[in-house]
Amino acid sequence: MSAAAQDFLRRAAEKSADLLHRQTIRRGIDSYDAAVGRGRSRFSDWQAARERAFRIKQEAVSHLDQYLLRFEQNIQARGGHVFWAADAAEARNYVLDLAQRKQVKRIVKSKSMVTEEIHLNETLEKSGLEVWETDLGEYIVQLRNEPPYHIVTPAMHLTRTQIADLFQQKIGGVTSDDPPGLVAIARRKLRQAFFSADMGISGANFLVADAGMVALNTNEGNGRLCTTLPRIHVVMAGIEKVIPRLQDLATLWPVLATSGTGQHLTSYCTLIGGRRAAGEVDGPEEFHVVLLDNGRSELLADPEQREVLHCIRCGACLNACPIFRNVGGHAYGTTYQGPIGSVLTPHLRGLEFSHLSFASSLCGACTETCPVKINLHHHLLENRRDAIAAGARPWTERMAFRVWRWVMASAARFRFFGWLGKTGLRMVNALGLTGTALDPLRKWSKYRVPPELPAASFRQIWKESYAGK
Amino acid sequence: MPENSVGSRSQILGRIQTALKKPSPSLPEVALPPIFAAVNNPLERFQQECALIQVECVLTSDLAGSRAAIEKTLGSVPAGEVFLQDAPELKKIAEGWSVQRPLRWSSQGPPPETTQATVTLAEALVALTGSVLTSAACGGRGASIVPDCHIVLAKAEQIVPDLETALAQVVERGTAKTNSYVGLITGSSRTADIEKILVLGAHGPRRLVVIVQKQS
Repeated sequence: MSAAAQDFLRRAAEKSADLLHRQTIRRGIDSYDAAVGRGRSRFSDWQAARERAFRIKQEAVSHLDQYLLRFEQNIQARGGHVFWAADAAEARNYVLDLAQRKQVKRIVKSKSMVTEEIHLNETLEKSGLEVWETDLGEYIVQLRNEPPYHIVTPAMHLTRTQIADLFQQKIGGVTSDDPPGLVAIARRKLRQAFFSADMGISGANFLVADAGMVALNTNEGNGRLCTTLPRIHVVMAGIEKVIPRLQDLATLWPVLATSGTGQHLTSYCTLIGGRRAAGEVDGPEEFHVVLLDNGRSELLADPEQREVLHCIRCGACLNACPIFRNVGGHAYGTTYQGPIGSVLTPHLRGLEFSHLSFASSLCGACTETCPVKINLHHHLLENRRDAIAAGARPWTERMAFRVWRWVMASAARFRFFGWLGKTGLRMVNALGLTGTALDPLRKWSKYRVPPELPAASFRQIWKESYAGK
Repeated sequence: MPENSVGSRSQILGRIQTALKKPSPSLPEVALPPIFAAVNNPLERFQQECALIQVECVLTSDLAGSRAAIEKTLGSVPAGEVFLQDAPELKKIAEGWSVQRPLRWSSQGPPPETTQATVTLAEALVALTGSVLTSAACGGRGASIVPDCHIVLAKAEQIVPDLETALAQVVERGTAKTNSYVGLITGSSRTADIEKILVLGAHGPRRLVVIVQKQS
């Protein structure tokens, strides 16, 4: 088993037994579920909205080169810079080099998962730059020196008391743990950063090809301040973020907001085409877009998995997933958590993350909720197949399946081993060895009461009561 | 890095083009139904939507009424400078008003950090979602995000029924071409990052006040 798989199992066991964590996550997801229910009911046809969103993304992804080129051309026509980064290192170095050349000291960041993916903050901070995460949830996890817990709600695992303690320790001046007071403390601190920063870094929700604009959604408005006040604005985006037309946002904006938080629209749906234009009141002097590949073109080369690039990072599959709900976001040890993370990470970081393909009950809740109709649980199954073909599974598992196949291929063997298993389990239970090292089902029965074994097998019941009737 | 230095551009484009030689399955053409029910009474709907997202919507019948509504709103804003978009309508409003505050017009530069309130026009209002469509031409980028209170003055005929109409108008009028910023604002700045509890005024305006004037 890979070290990553062992860590995952350990953290998953710890977190699923942590009662405070369970309670916090349940409350968070319950309120999300209620909001999404209300949000979807505002559509006259939610399924048609999903189909439209799927078709827009499919068109974009299947003509990716054309739309990226159109986007680039339009950005450059407005005086913006477009940089193509093949991997994480190239993207990090571009931003670092730019910051150093422009004598940047302080950077404010709007929430961006792709900058988490390439570990941008570490690189910038190591070189002596000050980096401020400005989304409240991101700011909280940055103060705790931990990665985001969830794609959309990074501090979902924390209670107000924990956040109040953190703020008191790191900022001071906390008088109570009521959320408005805590938000006010962060607001005061972060406004100082906004108004003194030299560079703003944002992600992108969509790159609009025909308009040559970056669409950026934030509720807090931190994305607005990051792209208004500092003298340089850098956008970091995966190449799959491009969409064909401005009008596509009439579908994608409400679909993203509803799936992300249950809102009809995110408070600030913002389009940025470049630096401050002649005659405008404010805005940055320089505008850069970094288009990141980092494994995405490989995913594109696999027609079976290509649609994973449709993902709009709404987080809905995380909230729907029974595994995520129990083990939480940090157990995964990945940038992207939950079903989409389990599908994506083996492609981005290699087969030592193939165990995540098995961290699923294949219930399909993710596929059903996905607003761009990614067949997530099928992709988990395909990843399982590929992991086995690549020999990335332990030899004990391969042996076990070989034996299982051999047993299942003959009625006599099936009967014999069925009898052996039942008798063995009866003995283990009768001797009080349930859950111990001698119990072959210990992984199951360690935390659960073993089910009563039936007196007769199905074959016996069939033979005695139904056969020949 | 100079403008022409573009990183691994040709390498990435080459990989994409090779990848796409294996085509995606083509989808059958289908006529999809609209995803939202049609908006029948845009003004009424706009007011209803505002109420749902804590936006203060005030209906006025003329310029004098709008002036009074702005004065009233500013009366409840803490002392400090007010920033206004340098537009003829707003100049006309400020000429005859009773507000005793330092004013800064957008032609004098962007709103400073201490700006208590801003007054701007809008590109359009969207009935379906209770949104205000703004652009850099509406007093700049900061006007709608820096202050504690953002006041928008719009005409009733600026209300469009839905997002599709609003975005079509952006394309048709060239708003996205002539502005480096276009923004659809739906409610004031908010967060629910602490225990999913809604708090207004996360980084930007706590209050968004939309004054809809029925006659020009």
